[in-house]
Amino acid sequence: MAHSIILLPLIGFLISCSLSFFKSNKFIDRAAEIITSLFITITAIFSFYIFIDNIGDPSFVSIKLFNWISSGSFNADWSIYLDTATRVMLVVITSVSALVHIYSVGYMSHDDSKPRFMGYLSLFTFAMLMLVTADNFLQLFFGWEGVGLASYLLIGFWYKKPTANAAAIKAFIVNRIGDFGLALGIFTIFIVFGSIEYQTVFNNVTSFKNVNFNFLGIELHALTLICIFLFIGAMGKSAQLFLHTWLPDAMEGPTPVSALIHAATMVTAGVFLVVRCSPLFDLAPVALDFVVLIGASTAFFAATVGLVQNDIKRVIAYSTCSQLGYMFVAAGLGAYGAAMFHLFTHAFFKALLFLGAGSVIHAVHEEQDMRKMGGISNFVPITQLMMIIGTISLMGFPFTSGYYSKDAIIETAYLSNSNFADYAYILLTVGVVMTSFYSWRLMFLVFNGKTRMAEEDLSKVHESSSVMLIPLIILAIGALFFGFLFKNYFIGYYSDVFWNGSIVVHHEDHHSIPLLIYYLPAILGIAGFIIAWFMYIRKSDMAKNIAELNKPLYNFLLNKWYFDELYNSIFVKPAMAIGQIFWKFIDGLIIDGYGPNGIAALVSRISIKAKQVQSGFIYHYAFAILIGLSIIITFIIFRF
Amino acid sequence: MQSLVYILPEIFLFIVATVLLVTGLFLKKIKLINLLAIFSLLVAVFLILNQPFQSAFLNSFVVDEFSLVLKVMILIGSIASLIMFVSSKDDLNINIYEFPILIIFSTIGMMVMVSANDLLAMFIGLELQSLSLYVLAALNRNSLLSSEAGIKYFILGALSSGLLLFGISYIYGFSGNTNFNLIAVNINPESLGLIIGIVFVLAGLAFKVSAVPFHMWTPDVYQGAPTPITGFFALAPKIAAMGLLVRFLFNSFGEIYIDWQQIIFFISIASMMLAAFAAIAQTNLKRLMAYSSIGHIGYALIGVACFTDEGLRSLLIYLMIYLIMNIAVFAFLLSLKRNDGYFENISDLSGMHKNHPLRTMLIALIMFSLAGIPPLAGFFGKFYIFVAAIESEMLFLAIIGVVASVISAFYYLRIVKIMYFDEPKEEFDGSSIQSLNLLYYPSSILIIIFFIYPSPVINISEYAIQSII
Amino acid sequence: MTAQLLTFYLFSGVILISSLMVISTKNPVHSVLFLILSFLNAAGLFVILHAEFLAMILIIVYVGAVAVLFLFVVMMLDFKTSINKDNILQYIPIGILIGVVFIAELIIVLINTKFDLSNIQVLPNPLSDFTGKSNTEAIGSVLYTDYILYFQLSGVILLVAMIGSIVLTLRERVGVKRQVVSEQLQRQGKIDLVDVKSGKGVDI
Repeated sequence: MAHSIILLPLIGFLISCSLSFFKSNKFIDRAAEIITSLFITITAIFSFYIFIDNIGDPSFVSIKLFNWISSGSFNADWSIYLDTATRVMLVVITSVSALVHIYSVGYMSHDDSKPRFMGYLSLFTFAMLMLVTADNFLQLFFGWEGVGLASYLLIGFWYKKPTANAAAIKAFIVNRIGDFGLALGIFTIFIVFGSIEYQTVFNNVTSFKNVNFNFLGIELHALTLICIFLFIGAMGKSAQLFLHTWLPDAMEGPTPVSALIHAATMVTAGVFLVVRCSPLFDLAPVALDFVVLIGASTAFFAATVGLVQNDIKRVIAYSTCSQLGYMFVAAGLGAYGAAMFHLFTHAFFKALLFLGAGSVIHAVHEEQDMRKMGGISNFVPITQLMMIIGTISLMGFPFTSGYYSKDAIIETAYLSNSNFADYAYILLTVGVVMTSFYSWRLMFLVFNGKTRMAEEDLSKVHESSSVMLIPLIILAIGALFFGFLFKNYFIGYYSDVFWNGSIVVHHEDHHSIPLLIYYLPAILGIAGFIIAWFMYIRKSDMAKNIAELNKPLYNFLLNKWYFDELYNSIFVKPAMAIGQIFWKFIDGLIIDGYGPNGIAALVSRISIKAKQVQSGFIYHYAFAILIGLSIIITFIIFRF
Repeated sequence: MQSLVYILPEIFLFIVATVLLVTGLFLKKIKLINLLAIFSLLVAVFLILNQPFQSAFLNSFVVDEFSLVLKVMILIGSIASLIMFVSSKDDLNINIYEFPILIIFSTIGMMVMVSANDLLAMFIGLELQSLSLYVLAALNRNSLLSSEAGIKYFILGALSSGLLLFGISYIYGFSGNTNFNLIAVNINPESLGLIIGIVFVLAGLAFKVSAVPFHMWTPDVYQGAPTPITGFFALAPKIAAMGLLVRFLFNSFGEIYIDWQQIIFFISIASMMLAAFAAIAQTNLKRLMAYSSIGHIGYALIGVACFTDEGLRSLLIYLMIYLIMNIAVFAFLLSLKRNDGYFENISDLSGMHKNHPLRTMLIALIMFSLAGIPPLAGFFGKFYIFVAAIESEMLFLAIIGVVASVISAFYYLRIVKIMYFDEPKEEFDGSSIQSLNLLYYPSSILIIIFFIYPSPVINISEYAIQSII
Repeated sequence: MTAQLLTFYLFSGVILISSLMVISTKNPVHSVLFLILSFLNAAGLFVILHAEFLAMILIIVYVGAVAVLFLFVVMMLDFKTSINKDNILQYIPIGILIGVVFIAELIIVLINTKFDLSNIQVLPNPLSDFTGKSNTEAIGSVLYTDYILYFQLSGVILLVAMIGSIVLTLRERVGVKRQVVSEQLQRQGKIDLVDVKSGKGVDI
């Protein structure tokens, strides 16, 4: 069963991609859709079965598929490593992926390269599964790069659109910085521990607690260095502050891709990495503080930017960024279970929001600007209902999934006595208001108020087909109930049994929380809703007025704190200028002139000479043999 | 009688060859005879795998892990060229039933070579092998080029045998023995005569592996000989002579490795550089492959020059990859056929990807592999060799190797460029290459998947070298 | 001792000179005759070494069979070798240079190396009970036991040489009519038995 979970997406990818070589017709498209969707659905069912089956008795299974590299003391296998953290990830990945596959059948119905699209989706799923089922850091890295590749391919899926290509390249390059950090982390692990297998590393971690490592001539605490390197990798993949710029641009890809990769699964790989390495992080307090700092700042920063964005998908993208910040805060404070729990619930409601947004975009004829929507609630009732469910779960409305997971994080921040706990608590709490505000702002701008669409466009707005709506409904069930169903396992009473040592679990006293603090997130969430309602429904010109009054602040937020501009002038432009110098002058004139071109000319001259030696006469050949022999003998005699 | 068990595969092949020889006279069914030959070679593989390890005939013939692995490789090479023969015998004017028989005799010679632990066994094996090859090279009597190839190879081969014998007489004279192990016991590091003897023997062996400056016959013979025979030349004898070289140097002269290391060093560098430069100007694919194989032998010799486990292991890995790549290349050459005519010029390939996308893609991959571009097998072959060179502090050799492989990438990649970007020509025949697919696809797949699962090759080479080091 | 040395130098000197003559005379028949002379002297060297059997074999096989066969072939084919003088002159300098280098080096080697094979380890002599056996008998006793591999492989080499020469020279001529007896006998329907009436004859 575990084998088929890994292999079916790969087979789906291979079949679908080979189908894409044929001339597209209805039959081939349908075959690709059915095969990939069916395979992923089967893996989803298997994953759920494995998850539920082991929930009471989460034994740890490791299946070695075959040896990959064995060189001296270095050993890496292809394997399937099934512990609780992996099982949770399996459920998240395969179920969201299955629903997205099905949804894509509807969403991409007008596209003319469906097999390619479905194949990429399956490839992504396969790579993601490789990432989470690794039993060593190398296979993890393989999956990590694999999802990066799939993400690149899918962001640039509409490769005829220049913006899509630019976004794909940007995502790839920004991720490269993170990947470099991850690679350094893995190297350091191998140097320090002498192995890159999880078991060996995690079991021996305490004996390396006080080991120092010489990095660039400075003695550093080895575990801290490793953890910071790993976290830099996680920052890239999970779009944390300073490496976040690619995520909003990645919305150039088709919406199902945004739902699958840039909300539910790939971006959470960073969180998964930190949680997976919790035995390491737990012994590196400085690294944990760093994680909290970055996570909390990201949560706040992304929420502020999300307040003023006008593109429906960008709002949700910033929301994702912000929620990932919450997860990192939880992980940084040592509440790895809470981080995983939020990851788990977030996957469902965020995928729901994205797919809902996709449905809206579909309904309003590929328009993404919210300023050109509004008042369509009567035309798309089911979509609206689904998005409301997603939104209340995101804002943390009591008893929805998001409520349990987000509350747990905020409480942890309140209770923790980590260095940055207070900082994190304040930012996260403010973040709750903003989250609620921008979510409802989105809802109101899209569905309510007076329409800002053209008359003829409005008349053509229609509800999406059932193949798109059914995945929404299934996700909505998850968004509503999974928090309640699984909270005792992830963070509550059964957590010790549930995690079974696959992550580090700390116990804290939850009873000492004042009642106000306990209900504060829920209250703030509702406050955010009221503010949004007031500003966009009650007095619909108020938002504009506030923006006018605080023009500099509004622009600052609208331009995402000028990060792109900053990076542009600090990194991109100087790099381009240096590149120009190297290209035109050093490479073109000096290296090419004396190097390749000069050598190439030399080579072709020698080559003609070498050819002429081959005259075809036997006695020439015999002479060559004898001359060569006498040279060698002369050399030997003189050396002797 | 007991010791006959140790040469059972050789005896078996000899009996098969003689039986086939007589059968063929009455039964003019070349295909059947060829099939029987292939089958008996497979049986020989089986026999070899089940042989006890022992040395026999006054320790002049050893059966050990090293000889086992090399013999299997040689037999694979022979089988491959017999398969190539089936597909092309009618059109190349070599419709002669003695072909498989001569291949078998030559194979017996090579098997004796890799098992030889005595100067006499070495010489006799070498001669048996060479004599069959001389005949094979000239097999197409209607072609002037083929006859010329045969006569050139014969005369120069006789010269190299003379050098070899001269060297053998020196070694015998200065050590009093012909047995490798006893030579090693009686070695006198001060003896210049012994080293001169080694030089002459090495010259003879270098001729067989076509290393510079003893390579001059190679391009002419490769071009002149019918393609399946050229394939055979490129596959089996190289491996056999390499194995013999290793056993000769490592078993008897390990103690004075400093002295012969220099010679191998020189030959290796000369081979790599000359092959890289000379191949660029070639227009004929078979000549190009001749230079390519000279270059590859140069890389492989680095492994010998290291005189370490690492070096020997990387040499064996290299030879295995070389074998697979060359099977693919020659199968490809034989598939370039249109209306009963074969095409050998690089320009004939132009634009062939339009008509044969799959075949072109595979051959492009093989060319990339030959050029040593990761992640294909050819890259790893070179990689291990260079690593071994660096670890035994032969940095210069590694650098020259890298430079040479950069230069040689040019002519491999030029083929790819011509196949993909030049004006397409007429289609090649597709029907006659069914049997070639047997060689073509498995070898291409092996080249591609090597990086995913390299351990078997590494393990086999580890296994083989344990009896030498 | 001196007599033995003297004969050795005589024989080897003649071998050297006649070998030189083999490759330098213009007439191929003379070449073969010089070859025979050098074989004979080599046989003489064997006799000095008390290897009478080898000496006789050399004479019987090489002189009696091989060289005489050569002679026949050369005479029958009636070669007229014409060697281009310019070519020879062109390569003489480099040829001499290499030859001189080789000889000089071999001399250096001989000067520098001490022949000391007194205390070396060798294979157990298979001819331990040599005394009392004739030369032929002794060789025969090991040739078919310890050295069977070499012996048989040499036989295989000869077989290959034979196959090779046949393959390369035997050709079935097209357009030549051969008698195939079995086909002749199996022919049917071409013979009519006709009862010939006297005085009338038959129509053909």
